[in-house]
Amino acid sequence: MQLNAPPGTPAVPLVSLKGVEKSFPGVKALSDVSIDLYAGEVHMIMGENGAGKSTLMKILCGAYTADAGEFHYKGVPEQMRGPRDARRFGISVIFQEFSLVPHLDVAQNIFLGREPKGRLPGQIDRACLYREAQRYLDMLGCDIGARTQVHKLRVAEQQMVEIAKALSQDARVLVLDEPTSALSDRETEQLFGVIRTLQTEGVAMAYISHRMGEVFELGDRITVLRDGKYIGTKLPFETNPDDIVRMMVGRSVDMSYARNFCETPGETIIEMKNVSAPNGITDINLVVRRGEIVGLSGLVGSGRTEVARTLFGADPISSGEILYGGKPFRGTPTMARDGGIALIPESRKTQGLALIRSVRDNMVVSGLGRMFPKGWFQPSRATAAATSLIERLRVATPSPFRRVGNLSGGNQQKVVIGKWLNAGSQLFIFDEPTRGIDVGAKSEIFALIDGLVKQGNAVLMISSELPEIINVCDRAYVMKDKRVVGELSRGQLTQENVMRLAVHHG
Amino acid sequence: MADVSLAHRATSRFEIRAPGIWIILAALLLVFATTTPRFLSAANLTNIGLQSSILLLLALPMTLVILTEGLDLSMGALMALVSMIVGLTSAAGYPVPVSIAAGLMVGLAGGILNGLLVAKLDMPPFVATLGTLGMAQGLAVVLTDGQSVVDLADAIPAIFSVAVFGVPLPIWLSVAAYSVTHYILYHTQFGVSIFAIGGNRDAWKLSGGNVDRCLIGVYAFAGVMVGIAGFLFTSRMSAGHPTASLGMEFDAMAAVALGGTSFEKGNGWLFGTVLGVLAIGVLRNGLNLLGFPSSVQVVSVGVLVLIALFIDGLRSKP
Amino acid sequence: MTETSIGKTVPGARLSAASLLEKIGGLDLIIRLFVVAALCLALTFATPKFLTEGNVLNVLRQTALLFLIASGLTLVILTGGIDLSVGANLGLSGCLAALALKATGSVALTFLVAISAGAAGGLANGLLVTAMRVPPFIATYGMLWVLLGLTYWVMGGDSVHGFPPNFRILGSGYVLGIPVPVYLMFVFLAIGGLFLSRTRWGQEVYAIGANPEAARLSGIPVQSRLILVYTLSGAMAGLAALVFLARVNSAEGDIGETLTLPAITAVLIGGTSLFGGIGTVGGTFIGALILTLVINGMNLLSVHTNWQPFVTGVIVIIAVLVDRLSHQK
Repeated sequence: MQLNAPPGTPAVPLVSLKGVEKSFPGVKALSDVSIDLYAGEVHMIMGENGAGKSTLMKILCGAYTADAGEFHYKGVPEQMRGPRDARRFGISVIFQEFSLVPHLDVAQNIFLGREPKGRLPGQIDRACLYREAQRYLDMLGCDIGARTQVHKLRVAEQQMVEIAKALSQDARVLVLDEPTSALSDRETEQLFGVIRTLQTEGVAMAYISHRMGEVFELGDRITVLRDGKYIGTKLPFETNPDDIVRMMVGRSVDMSYARNFCETPGETIIEMKNVSAPNGITDINLVVRRGEIVGLSGLVGSGRTEVARTLFGADPISSGEILYGGKPFRGTPTMARDGGIALIPESRKTQGLALIRSVRDNMVVSGLGRMFPKGWFQPSRATAAATSLIERLRVATPSPFRRVGNLSGGNQQKVVIGKWLNAGSQLFIFDEPTRGIDVGAKSEIFALIDGLVKQGNAVLMISSELPEIINVCDRAYVMKDKRVVGELSRGQLTQENVMRLAVHHG
Repeated sequence: MADVSLAHRATSRFEIRAPGIWIILAALLLVFATTTPRFLSAANLTNIGLQSSILLLLALPMTLVILTEGLDLSMGALMALVSMIVGLTSAAGYPVPVSIAAGLMVGLAGGILNGLLVAKLDMPPFVATLGTLGMAQGLAVVLTDGQSVVDLADAIPAIFSVAVFGVPLPIWLSVAAYSVTHYILYHTQFGVSIFAIGGNRDAWKLSGGNVDRCLIGVYAFAGVMVGIAGFLFTSRMSAGHPTASLGMEFDAMAAVALGGTSFEKGNGWLFGTVLGVLAIGVLRNGLNLLGFPSSVQVVSVGVLVLIALFIDGLRSKP
Repeated sequence: MTETSIGKTVPGARLSAASLLEKIGGLDLIIRLFVVAALCLALTFATPKFLTEGNVLNVLRQTALLFLIASGLTLVILTGGIDLSVGANLGLSGCLAALALKATGSVALTFLVAISAGAAGGLANGLLVTAMRVPPFIATYGMLWVLLGLTYWVMGGDSVHGFPPNFRILGSGYVLGIPVPVYLMFVFLAIGGLFLSRTRWGQEVYAIGANPEAARLSGIPVQSRLILVYTLSGAMAGLAALVFLARVNSAEGDIGETLTLPAITAVLIGGTSLFGGIGTVGGTFIGALILTLVINGMNLLSVHTNWQPFVTGVIVIIAVLVDRLSHQK
């Protein structure tokens, strides 16, 4: 299947996955995907959010088991049943969230759980520990002391420690998941130096990236996935960034939702002027008007959630200003709620709902002040309000007293929306509203969102699913590296335009 | 390459970890040295050392417990029970080593019970140890109906004041306890697991580490140290006392907090605990010399901890 | 999966059954009432001294004192926090109130002193937990010793006794043959119940305990609600101190020392989850009743009072285990 072997590499790939299939309930994550990794190559894996990159890598490192397909090591079919097998074949992953212990030093982290034993039972041979750790750090050519506590290191250095840890476990295959996303330019160059060193050592690297620049600078081969399918593998000199973007976009659209777009938006409801915040977002300018659904697109980690939290007052701002209804707004979530701003967060279970409480209790929680201005809570009125919301939003629950934790994802999302309807909100900020929701319920959620703007409310919608942005939004902003890098009007909204802005190109 | 690692060794060894405790300790010494003439006398300094030795025996394991994001509220009560067992066995005519062994066994049993409750039954440490606090306190009082046991073997009170090479035995013991704890924390895999469980429990599990065994070990170690402290306490009081040691875990906790160990993320420093113990010892001794009652001392320790927590809070904020 | 997302009509019978159970406070409450009944029955058979007017009133009076402390604590535990300083808070506010009463003889001033001293201690806890972000069990445990130290400082080892009769009614008086503290208990049972189930602040307390992050992102002012709850817990300790003083007719530095563990135990066996978000003041009343019955039974059966801390310690551990098993999956 993969015709392009990198020039000058051994004939047999170090590891390969062949014809991998993987399904999750309701989703086909991978179908018939194959990939080869040769010793000493940097193999770039590209694709938009949800294309199946992470699933493929998790299968490679044994975190998931494939439903079908083969794993080959040096051309020989082998069993891959779990992380233990992966370790046996020398496969290691450097995740974006590090598995380091902050108040242990570098050497202790590198050998965590595998400390060289001293003479006494339980004792650590500290001389050996630091000598060996220093050896791996030197191998990487990075200037980190083995005795430095990890929490004092910068992110880039922590990443080096992770890589050293992998090497100390005899890693021959390294999976790097967007390793440069939190690094400065100088740190990125250092990382590239390390990666080139590893190449000469014969380590095979699968490198997930969204940055066109580094893909072409570093990659020996580029493989593109889309919709859980293998699209193609290219050598850098025979392709160009536009080609790659074209390969990445064009997902089959599994949503049939269509709406009448807003021709004449109303007054401006909220405006961000040159807003920067300690959470990382820099110089954000955006406007949302009544009657329109504004998309906030970009790749995961580009700063979209941070914008949402800043608008809602959950994160403070350091400079710039937010105008809400024409007046400066700088406040807390409580003030945002009272002013009519709603946040439907990405993680329903940890941020949106109290799972042990009932549907009713969750639905009235934000509207308590509005419904009961004197402070007296009337259960019957709360129940009535919840019952009418349950009907209006078509929440499938046997009773308003059912624990929210027992509902399906789509119904839980409706409860979160209901919570804000009951609070009398006018600006709804949706962060990944369809995450973990099945297809039928997705259309319902979009119908609800459409209904909101028809009544003169405004919606800012974050989504990683390009088809959702394209089919639902009147306008969209694209973010990259914590900045807004472009605004696309209805006519300009195509998957290719969004993706080009989002991946550092054009 | 050798130069590089030496340079790093130098920075990590001589860097000042928690400047606050040094300042507090220096300030306390200065204040009491200038206000009370007797403070700097050899006899008084030895006295501070003796008083601090028992506290250190509790504060060292408390540091380990807090590093795992736990807490042991049962120390004072368990110490009282140990003291009663030591007293009763000695009063019953058993030789001193038997009393010591019995005291250590009681401490160990209490510690293992705490460990099992926290590790195996997954109870929040403060309630688990609050429960064992009640149990130990109750048993200590039940044994003699609340009376202290005074007819001990003569050797027991003697142990507290015996001097080896001119230094009282309890101070030797606390030096030994510090060395052992330091070794455990910084030179064994058990020590690594303590930091890892507080700092990143998932990472420890991913590396194949056992969380339960570490937690039980930490609480059991605390139990043994409480056993030794309970014996020394009995020796100092010349009596098995069912209530006098209650609340000593507060001073231990305060010493740990003062010494720059925070209650989150496995961020701690064992030697800081020694400094914390000394600060509390100096504070209580100095206030005592100035004629303040122990109630004022407790409040001052609390205020000192508030200051330390405040500094900790300032440091942990970005 | 797709099926469940579409609104379906709901069987009416299940709805009413569920809401009925919801209304009476769930199965947990019924089980706890059975425990109370079983304890009473067992004690009636075990000793003739149990079912006498004097003993029953005694049980009720002790339950009342325990409940008054535990009710405020219930609010704190509902938010997922803990207040280990309630006993010490009771001790300090009680001693200050006793000194004020001795000095002025004014009952009104005594009330003011006790409740505001208690509230101040609670407020300090609240500020430590919110503004300084100290974990509640550490903040309130530190506060325990600070308050205890202050109490001994204030009292200087002395005790104050002999209060005017018009004050002592609060603890030792009877109205219609029933002790005054019992009326007080039912008043605060009603107030606490109303606060939790019939005010929006009560609803917010539950929301915070169930998921603090979601509560914050729902616009609930979490910090100020936490401060309120710790302050209320302190104020209730102050009120309980008054009842205690009026009952025992004297104040010493150590009056509060033995009360914290039973108060926490009462809350936990009353079905309030240590992990927050689940529980009622009514449950705490039953919890206080169960614990008082156990201790009363031990007294009647001539088990020495020295066993009380041991038994309470065992019960608190069992209560947490039951909580873990029933609320945490």
